[in-house]
Amino acid sequence: MTPLLSVRNLSVSFATPRGVARAVDDVSFDLLPGETLALVGESGCGKTVTALSLLKLIPEPPGRTDPRSRVEYAGTNVLALGGEALRQVRGGQIAMVFQEPTTSLNPVLTVGSQIAETVRAHRETDRAGARERAVGMMRLAGIPEPEERYGSYPHQLSGGLKQRIMIAIALSCEPRILIADEPTTALDVTIQAQIIELLSDLRKRLGLAVLLISHDLGLVAGIADRVAVMYAGRIVEEATTADLFARPRHPYTEGLLQAAPRVDRPQAALAAIPGSVPSATAWPSGCRFHPRCPHAWDRCIREEPGLLQAGATRSSRCWLVVEPERRRPATTAVTGTA
Amino acid sequence: MSAPAQSPRVSTDILVEIDRLVKEFPVERGLLATRDVLRAVNDVSLALRRGEILGLVGESGSGKTTLGRCAIRLIQPTDGRVMFEGTDLATLSARDLRRFRRRMQLVFQDPSGSLNPRMKVGDAVREPIEVHDIARGSRARARVAELFGEVGLDPSYVDRYPHELSGGQRQRVGIARALSVEPQFVVLDEPVSALDVSVQAQVLNLLSDLRRRHALTYLFVAHDLAVVRHVADRVAVMYLGRIMELADASVLYQRPSHPYTRALLSAAPVPDPTAKRERIVLSGDPPSPVHPPSGCPFHTRCFHPRKDARCVEERPELRPITAGQSTACHYADQW
Ligand SMILES: Nc1ncnc2c1ncn2[C@@H]1O[C@H](COP(=O)(O)OP(=O)(O)OP(=O)(O)O)[C@@H](O)[C@H]1O
Ligand SMILES: Nc1ncnc2c1ncn2[C@@H]1O[C@H](COP(=O)(O)OP(=O)(O)OP(=O)(O)O)[C@@H](O)[C@H]1O
Ligand code: SF4
Ligand code: SF4
Ligand SMILES: [Mg+2]
Ligand SMILES: [Mg+2]
Repeated sequence: MTPLLSVRNLSVSFATPRGVARAVDDVSFDLLPGETLALVGESGCGKTVTALSLLKLIPEPPGRTDPRSRVEYAGTNVLALGGEALRQVRGGQIAMVFQEPTTSLNPVLTVGSQIAETVRAHRETDRAGARERAVGMMRLAGIPEPEERYGSYPHQLSGGLKQRIMIAIALSCEPRILIADEPTTALDVTIQAQIIELLSDLRKRLGLAVLLISHDLGLVAGIADRVAVMYAGRIVEEATTADLFARPRHPYTEGLLQAAPRVDRPQAALAAIPGSVPSATAWPSGCRFHPRCPHAWDRCIREEPGLLQAGATRSSRCWLVVEPERRRPATTAVTGTA
Repeated sequence: MSAPAQSPRVSTDILVEIDRLVKEFPVERGLLATRDVLRAVNDVSLALRRGEILGLVGESGSGKTTLGRCAIRLIQPTDGRVMFEGTDLATLSARDLRRFRRRMQLVFQDPSGSLNPRMKVGDAVREPIEVHDIARGSRARARVAELFGEVGLDPSYVDRYPHELSGGQRQRVGIARALSVEPQFVVLDEPVSALDVSVQAQVLNLLSDLRRRHALTYLFVAHDLAVVRHVADRVAVMYLGRIMELADASVLYQRPSHPYTRALLSAAPVPDPTAKRERIVLSGDPPSPVHPPSGCPFHTRCFHPRKDARCVEERPELRPITAGQSTACHYADQW
């Protein structure tokens, strides 16, 4: 299948007082039509910067997108677009939903008018038509009594309803791609379940391709077709959801899975990953995971592995792919120091 | 470390007894500033056994933090009592309360919010040691170094400021500070919620080790049911200021009996795409605690097939369902 969106060699850095933060470093991936691709990883790994840069939303300065970076959509490089052409892609073809609905909504406008405004920005329609469409989008996003809620202000709605409004805004121009950055992280678990159900339902009905960004492997397991794991500004493993969870091939992915407590079964011990994610201004030499990796040997410290093919449809940025005999036997739970 | 239901140190001996506790907050509404009352904690009774970890779960606004703060009398309940080793905390003079306070400590969610940004973290841990006259000068400093070792921090970090540490390291400082006065009872309010998974596991393992080494009793507040399953001996589930279900962890996670507990468990993500699980998606939002529903507080979102008019009229009391399990639902045993 031809990809809908192709990201190639995306690198984004920031000038900071402590030096250059290489937030996203040479990231490449494809998003296929109708699929849900998850981008997972811990705080500071570069997930949000990746998402924002796909739509040229990184403030420059302090940010800087490497000129070799490409984001191919419908035969054009989005990163080379500007003005009206860029505006038509943003929100029209590729829409985005963020973690904090509160900060993305205008507090002094009614939620309905904010949806109608997006509709009018992207298609020829009169006021009444935009309103009608906005109400329809609210219904699609599962908002009860949409006509009544049209005139509500953001502060009058719960977090879950606000996130549904954000989804209604995002979908109002019939985008082909939805980028959702931690869309449920700020919500309670029962509301999270509602939003996730809504997203998978919409994706099926509208044939949307979704780039789902999350730190939660559990959430991803339930809805993604494929998963790309990020660590320290790089994609370190990519596989179908089934393969990734059945048999992770990168020690970081493996570590994340062993460190996560499970609600569905008793567990004797949690294997913590020692240490923490390093600072983006000083990534470790060689493999960026080596200071925390139980298998690291001298090659890992000297030389960074590429994203190595580890099967027909998967890859892992780890020397163990070519030197599997270096793998150390599983150790028992590490209490680990910070 | 593991969290067996019958941990050897958990006894039937009660350390903290919370009895019919109520905490109200005044709320002002609208232009006329009409005064309403919000019952954040509504008639809660709970007994913490010496040496146990009692998990307190529930969604945002259900009253977990308020209950935890009342339990160590950081805030004063509106009604009801808290007994610590048989002593009613309300009857204590300010001086005696100060003496008791040393035995009950709090660890916050956001370690940076609870640490003074201009104080070196070593001093932050030393401060309570000196305030409570446990040690002074070089002996206090030696104690700080010992505590740092115990929570897995390099003792050279005593001279760092909070912003020079990672989130996990700051949480270790918060734990060292709470332990510095040798408490018996620690309220942990979302102690790992701000941490990444890999670091969260480090801190959870540390908390379990410390409880074993020092025979501590924890009230462990969290919204993450997987985390609670991992650490707790018993679990209380709160909704709108009330306890919906209280059970041994092994029972609660295998045979939840309150519809709300079932919904929470089914909504908690599991990192396994092949896991076969019951899918319950509750409709609607939780009601406002200022105007809680009549009868059963959960009736507006309940999906129990037996739900009926009685649920709207009559509030179910927390009652024993099976051994080690109490539930506030009329039909908890009629699934
Ligand atoms: N405007 C900025 N200026 C400087 N550094 C930045 C800026 N935005 C992001 N960074 C840095 O880039 C790195 C990646 O950040 P990003 O927000 O993409 O992480 P993330 O994976 O989304 O994390 P989280 O899970 O916490 O949202 C971090 O080290 C961050 O500090
Ligand atoms: N000082 C206060 N004044 C007024 N209302 C308060 C105060 N503290 C808490 N509340 C209210 O009491 C209720 C319970 O709050 P509490 O913080 O105990 O909930 P929680 O279960 O800890 O939630 P979270 O998971 O969000 O931390 C909420 O509705 C909250 O808004
Ligand atoms: S390359 Fe080496 S250090 Fe990096 S993840 Fe693989 S084994 Fe570990
Ligand atoms: S008492 Fe009724 S409404 Fe309440 S939880 Fe039980 S069945 Fe549901
Ligand atoms: Mg982010
Ligand atoms: Mg709280």
